[in-house]
Amino acid sequence: MTITTVRHTVYVVHYMTPGTDNHELFENLRLELRRGSLVLAVLAALRKEHYGYTLRKTLADRGMAIDEGTLYPLLRRLESHGLLVSEWREEEKRNKRFYRLSADGKEIFKQLMTEWQSISTSLNGML
Amino acid sequence: MDLVDSYVNAVAKALPEEQRADIIGELSEDIRSEMDERQKELGRPLTPDEQEGLLKKRGNPWLLAARYRQDQRSVAFGRQIIGPVLYPFYVKVLTFNLGLTFLIVGGIFLALRLAGQNISVGDMVSTCTLQFFIQFSVVTLIFSLVEKHLTKHPDRWHIKGTGGKFRLDLNIERDFQVRMGQVGMGQARMGSQRREVSRFESVSVIVASAVALVWWSSVQSHPFLIFGPAAALFNLAPIWHQIYFPIVVLTDLEIVRAIINLVRPDWTQFRAIARVILQAGGLAVMWFAMKAKSWVTVADPAADGAGKYAQVAHIVNQCLLYVLVSAAIFSAAMIIFRITELIRRRRWDVEPRGVGSAAKEGN
Repeated sequence: MTITTVRHTVYVVHYMTPGTDNHELFENLRLELRRGSLVLAVLAALRKEHYGYTLRKTLADRGMAIDEGTLYPLLRRLESHGLLVSEWREEEKRNKRFYRLSADGKEIFKQLMTEWQSISTSLNGML
Repeated sequence: MDLVDSYVNAVAKALPEEQRADIIGELSEDIRSEMDERQKELGRPLTPDEQEGLLKKRGNPWLLAARYRQDQRSVAFGRQIIGPVLYPFYVKVLTFNLGLTFLIVGGIFLALRLAGQNISVGDMVSTCTLQFFIQFSVVTLIFSLVEKHLTKHPDRWHIKGTGGKFRLDLNIERDFQVRMGQVGMGQARMGSQRREVSRFESVSVIVASAVALVWWSSVQSHPFLIFGPAAALFNLAPIWHQIYFPIVVLTDLEIVRAIINLVRPDWTQFRAIARVILQAGGLAVMWFAMKAKSWVTVADPAADGAGKYAQVAHIVNQCLLYVLVSAAIFSAAMIIFRITELIRRRRWDVEPRGVGSAAKEGN
């Protein structure tokens, strides 16, 4: 075992374990990174019509789990900006609110996707 | 009302009215879809515990509602003391309290005016300012303590077993963590009887007692603080001056007790004994006060209309007698209850530890 290995182990145990400042910092940065991409994920999923619960399931199945306390306010915000349209409909004897992209939403989604791809290409070149 | 309705209603109360129906309809549907799916997986209906578990995962209803609200106002003096979650409730309570207070004060002024008293604008302004200051300070203090608790323990809330009402768990006594697996059932049972005095409780007692002390000391020289504008007509009877010092001593001792428990939260036995002693002291003071039979007197018995004011003082004295008797009965009952609890705990503490050891071995 070299001195570098020991130092690395000490660093990982003391500085990167849950509850430490570094872990908290990482968690905050990770959430920030995810938050930025959530809008794109939601817009992408709503190219097909969904109601809240199935949308949440779809996102979770694709690895973009999002809690309802974040998703529903986000849907409201996107709708108020005119990017989504929604309607209440009865399905399986229950009233559900279905969402899909509006015409403006489709346009913005296209632009955001282009931007995302550009960022992704740039980052891939750097990483 | 089922648990989902209770949860959703708790969220609804913290939402602006114009968005309420829409958000609640959607949230309710989301919860029921999740529960349906879970039931399908299990092949049976969910138990109330499982339902509560799913609701708990969604978080505190007030925190959830705050995420929907556009209004993110808060109260800050340098640093934030009441955040956006509690702000709407804070404004509602403060508005209601101030409205009610000003209504009562207005009523008193009107009655005095009709009785021929001279009321100056200065009297009205100073009374209203004082009442505003008191209400603002007390309500803000209470809400800032709840805010602190909510920030520290967002998961401490209940729906199940509360009659369909959302309840914040503001338990000021928190059980010591009972390490069931490590100490065995018998010891765990004993452990569950051991509690610690929460710092939240100690700080609250210190602040409330200090405020009460300031008020009590001020009332002696400024009867206006208790009578309001009627201070010109009535006086506190001499008994209040006689019991002034004992009450100050009892309140000081309570503050000292709370400070000790702030430093040593594990001294629960000390708190229990101190409470009995202080409550007995309080009862003695009440007994002494009751013997006076007159607590409010007319300021100037020779003044015009003094007979009318004497009648008012008589009615007030009658009411105070009932209040004092009720308080004394309640206090005596509390002392008996606390002594019984002390004896019960004492017996529990001296019980042989064999049960715990046997259980530990059995684990």
